[in-house]
Amino acid sequence: MILELHVWGPAFSLPSIDPHCLAAIAYLQQAVPRGKWVLVATSDPALSPTNELPALRNGDIWIGGFRNIFHYLAQFSSGEWVLDAGLPDQQGADCIAFSSFVESHGQPLIDLSLYVSSQNYTTITRPIYNTIQAFPLPYLTPPSIRATAKQRTAHLGLSSLDVDTENGEGRREPSIIPESLRKPKPTVSNLLAASPETNSQIRLSALATTLFEPLQKLKGKKRYLVSDTHFSSLDCLALGYLSLILVPDLPQPWLAQTMRSNFPDLAAWTEELGESIFGGPVDVSDALLSKGKADTKPIRTSEKGKGSLPWAAPYNGGIIGVGRVFLSSIGDSIPIVGQLRRNTRMRQHGGKTPGDELQTSSSWQTLTTVGSVISAVGLVLGYMFHQGVISLPSSEESEKQGSNTADLNAFGDAGAALSIYANRMDAETQRQRAIGQQLGHGAPVAEVDVDVDVKRDLVTITEK
Amino acid sequence: MPPKPRDKRGADEDSSAGQSLAPALSRQSRKFANLFAIPPPVKALFDYVPVLVYPPNELPRRAPKPAKIPSLYVFSNKEDAAAGRPSFNPSCLKWQAFLNIAGVKHRLVHSSNHASPTGALPFLLPAASASTSDTSQDTYPIPSNKLVKYAEDHGASVEESSNLRYEAYQALLDQRIRSAWLYTLYLEPLNFNAVAYPLYVSSASTNPLVRASISHQLRAAAEAELLKHSSIIDIDDLYSEADKAFEALSILLGEDTWFFGSEKPTLFDASIFAYTHLLLDDSMGWKEDKLSGALRRRENLAQHQERLLVRYFGG
Repeated sequence: MILELHVWGPAFSLPSIDPHCLAAIAYLQQAVPRGKWVLVATSDPALSPTNELPALRNGDIWIGGFRNIFHYLAQFSSGEWVLDAGLPDQQGADCIAFSSFVESHGQPLIDLSLYVSSQNYTTITRPIYNTIQAFPLPYLTPPSIRATAKQRTAHLGLSSLDVDTENGEGRREPSIIPESLRKPKPTVSNLLAASPETNSQIRLSALATTLFEPLQKLKGKKRYLVSDTHFSSLDCLALGYLSLILVPDLPQPWLAQTMRSNFPDLAAWTEELGESIFGGPVDVSDALLSKGKADTKPIRTSEKGKGSLPWAAPYNGGIIGVGRVFLSSIGDSIPIVGQLRRNTRMRQHGGKTPGDELQTSSSWQTLTTVGSVISAVGLVLGYMFHQGVISLPSSEESEKQGSNTADLNAFGDAGAALSIYANRMDAETQRQRAIGQQLGHGAPVAEVDVDVDVKRDLVTITEK
Repeated sequence: MPPKPRDKRGADEDSSAGQSLAPALSRQSRKFANLFAIPPPVKALFDYVPVLVYPPNELPRRAPKPAKIPSLYVFSNKEDAAAGRPSFNPSCLKWQAFLNIAGVKHRLVHSSNHASPTGALPFLLPAASASTSDTSQDTYPIPSNKLVKYAEDHGASVEESSNLRYEAYQALLDQRIRSAWLYTLYLEPLNFNAVAYPLYVSSASTNPLVRASISHQLRAAAEAELLKHSSIIDIDDLYSEADKAFEALSILLGEDTWFFGSEKPTLFDASIFAYTHLLLDDSMGWKEDKLSGALRRRENLAQHQERLLVRYFGG
């Protein structure tokens, strides 16, 4: 049985646009003998059970996520295709710790540089998805990846890189704040604001340094990151992230620049290793094996020799397959439906017994039912009020007041301020009338008050 | 007169829109926004307001007086806070342990997220200074990320490990173990009902509606946090990664008393303790104990927790 590794398609002359896919490719390239596996640039995460790529297919078994793939390979080959097997304790521990470190510090950098930064995203990253995915999908995939990337980097406070959102808000805001409360404008930073990347340059390079420095120190003079002889899973992961940091040629190259100028050793190591593992630059047509080239392909692979990757043509199920994926990704992007879909995905995979689920969800379910019943009753009541089927005793007066303030509302902010005065004046007149009544004028007053307060009239009448 | 400022603004817009990427679209939307703008004469009037700004009012008499010693606001209950026992929230416990290790005297105040100026616990309210002149500056609450500096300013010697592994193992703790913790506490139904519900939900309110809403919020927040890093919550992966993380930490500690072979426990020891103590503490009453089981297998980590507990929390 030949294993199939499904990945996101190639970009920037690298075999994949996703760091985890690059890591998985490097791992299989090193651990699994040639001829036992092929590489498929599917670019369709819906294939794998965890809804993410890379995914490994062995017959009917699908394994999603790169860590699961490593585990599965170890099981499948009964401990033969494992990279981390021969490491001493301390190095094994370092391998685990630094893997988590590379992931947690590398992901935000790639998010910022490829997806959040508007200029890089619109000119480079988004067009790439057109080349690796079938027609309607590039309208959905990159924006959703960008949204997750923004969410992941929100805590860093660098959303200013995303120019699209800032333009509208930034301009309108100052005009509402009165002159006397405004802060003086920082003129120097205005000059710098030509590009948001230069504006936050210091913070960006500090962020990048936190990733590069420990890695550089860990590597030292060794050939690989943790060991001099052993190519470990950490090297795969670091290679995936570092080459996506280093290789892309972007209009805002702060990340690659920081790496090249401050950590030349690490940059050289990444380039060298990438060359030997991925076997030179990869073109989109290499990966997709476009029909025109199908006959020339075998000759080319043999020419390239050992370094090149075992690409196989992706099968995306024609129009029906693409349509299915399109619909399912639309489903994910609709607020409530998408949430439900994600929930079911977690439960399916968690493999919980249905009994467990019933207990917790039933309380929530009853709550939602009660809530919807209440809101439905409320709607019906509201409708009846509106139509005049039922009316409160004092509805006339309240309507009058309501119309008063509604007129003022049309004036916007000023109206809101004025309406307070209006209300107070209304109250005042009422009080004065009440006082007038207490003083005990005769019948004429009662006549005047008829439309204001029916009850009190009744009282005065009975008194008489 | 009135049209003048509007003209000027229009000219402004044109020049700025010319620079932007989609001039036509943005100009269109801004014109639309102008419909709702405040009319210039009204705005000119409003620019004079406020005419006079009064100094801030003094606090009411019944407001709590600044205490003689700084108070640390943590998740806890009344008795535990008074006795200085460990908090049941990992990030609170981390800083509580840090302050105990650094020897900064403080008292605990049981509290909730809503009390915090940053929206997160813990925070430290410094002691009232002897000179009452600059009280306003001095009594600002200190969020957790400034606590190290606070401890240094108040005479504690804080050792920061410069080991190259420090960052990596910290990431291991913040990513792997925290994710597994979030899952096991909030999303595992057995544990949520037995452990998290009494601690975080029923202590906050007696109203069933409020309780349902809080517990839903907690679980949704935990889920959102986990889904940030992967497209699906893969439970087996979470537990196996946490197991590997404990293994790595156990190897890192080895036979040493404290992490990175230092003389005194550091902030890193405190952050390990925050999780190990809560997982090993029997009074938490874990129902699904995969995570604490994984920890119990690493004896030196359990001993490390015992050591810290005895030395800095008086047993």
